[in-house]
Amino acid sequence: MGKFILQRVGAALAVAWIALSVAFVVLRALPGDAVDATLTRAGASPAEVAARRRSLGLADPLWQQYAAYLGGIARGDLGESLVTGQPVVQMIGQNLGPTAALAGSALLVGVTLGLALGLVAGLAPRRVPRWLAEGAAALALSMPVYWTATLAIYVFTVVLAVLPGVGGGDPRHLILPAAVLGFHTAGSIAQVTARSIRRTAAQDFVRTARAKGLGEADVADHILRVGLLPVIAVIALQLGFLLGGTVVTESIFVRRGLGRLLLMAIDNRDFPVIQSLVTLTALTYSLIHALADVLYALADPRVRVEG
Amino acid sequence: MVNGWRRRRLHAALLLLAAMIALAVLAPWLATHDPHRAVPEEQLVPPSTGHYFGTDLLGRDVFSRTLYGGRRTLGVALLTALIALGPGLAIGVAAGYGERWLDASLMMLMDALLAFPSLILALALIALLGSGTVQVALAVGIAGIPSYARVTRAAVIQARSLPFVEAARALGAGPRAILWRHVIPTAAPPLLAFAGVTLSWALLNGAALMFLGYGGDIAAPEWGVMLADGRAAFRNAPWVALAPGVALSATVLAINLLAGGLAEHPADG
Repeated sequence: MGKFILQRVGAALAVAWIALSVAFVVLRALPGDAVDATLTRAGASPAEVAARRRSLGLADPLWQQYAAYLGGIARGDLGESLVTGQPVVQMIGQNLGPTAALAGSALLVGVTLGLALGLVAGLAPRRVPRWLAEGAAALALSMPVYWTATLAIYVFTVVLAVLPGVGGGDPRHLILPAAVLGFHTAGSIAQVTARSIRRTAAQDFVRTARAKGLGEADVADHILRVGLLPVIAVIALQLGFLLGGTVVTESIFVRRGLGRLLLMAIDNRDFPVIQSLVTLTALTYSLIHALADVLYALADPRVRVEG
Repeated sequence: MVNGWRRRRLHAALLLLAAMIALAVLAPWLATHDPHRAVPEEQLVPPSTGHYFGTDLLGRDVFSRTLYGGRRTLGVALLTALIALGPGLAIGVAAGYGERWLDASLMMLMDALLAFPSLILALALIALLGSGTVQVALAVGIAGIPSYARVTRAAVIQARSLPFVEAARALGAGPRAILWRHVIPTAAPPLLAFAGVTLSWALLNGAALMFLGYGGDIAAPEWGVMLADGRAAFRNAPWVALAPGVALSATVLAINLLAGGLAEHPADG
């Protein structure tokens, strides 16, 4: 098992390293002119731009820039914003909390709701509750976040006037965005759960369990032990959706966070900020995938054997 | 295998998708107003017989804009899906059918791209390419390549190792003939289903970038742009976001149901 974990984390780090290098090549090596344009637009003279390029290390040979970039990441130094001159690490630190709170609570809502809908759609003995659960999952996958968010703000702040809509600060401001993002996260989780439960229920060992006279509760226990395994993988996958979804959600609910920081950086073509945020997301996402694989292997010994 | 209820659901999805496409194509004949014309004295008029879905902040007719918006939204999504599917298919077939070193290096690159959440990758590409309709299609499309390459590779490898394909090889059929005559037709159904998933994903993410304001021309009707207009006016005029939201969701729902129908398993209820 220890070897499996090492292999998996090693593979994740290798993939993350390639991802960082791709981000370096695409976002730093190519848009040298974009850096000039940003500085010029900010009112710098050509001499100032040249001096700034030297101080940013953009005049160095590419391999030196690459080494400095990797060294910086290892030391936790991500450079500074082209627009404000503030260290990027500091900017991320100031905006990490609200985004982590939003993504974390949306994940909680998504997993709870997704499992509940999936269990109803997969196991409920009657048709109507199954259809309702399937319908809710299908809507979660088909409606755009940027529309349901607007609808939710309208219903809960204008019509019912029970919750605050846009803005941040107060913990109550977290309820609506987390619920909306969580609802959409639940769609895939519910569908994968329901499908996996149904396919497991059609297997021979379930028929055997019934044939030897087990009660329905015990049969459901047999089904769930096997049927819930693939859900671990889909939850890890949904994290990618969630990280993208926070960008849109923060923009609609006018919340402080990494997503709004990214959108602002894109509008200003502030490449050090964009690059840092993108690589940070990629690192987080690949490590969580590795973690999910390890959990999966812990829960299902077959994965380890087939390796 | 396909029971009556499932077949009815597929027919309904097909009908819904056909209707959405027809509404977009027939927009010039169905629209009641010029979708671009702003009438300042008719700002935020609620739905009525004069304006079926009301008017927006600039006094433009929401019904006509939704019809015309479908053309741009569906067109961008189609272009996006083609940008994702073409290279994705080529890379997947090359990796699944080619030499070991080619497979390993292509998949290493695809895994590295998959390490970025797709919407974040699309936004990073927008930062490079700038705003505009084609740029949005390119950014979202490129972000969709690695998933399709992975799915294609898996389907090709699975098809390649089927007994009848191995039998064809044992009988002396060339690799090219096996690929075209046996592997690709066998791998087609899951690839078609995932192409549907890619299309609905392209619709949602493309319109998301439009919503965020990266689509260039913000006066031209487009569902994502209209949802952004609706977001700005929702307090006094919730109807502005209603029609484009329903249209976008209905189209994505229809495509999802069709793709789900293609990928169904006998045990799925």
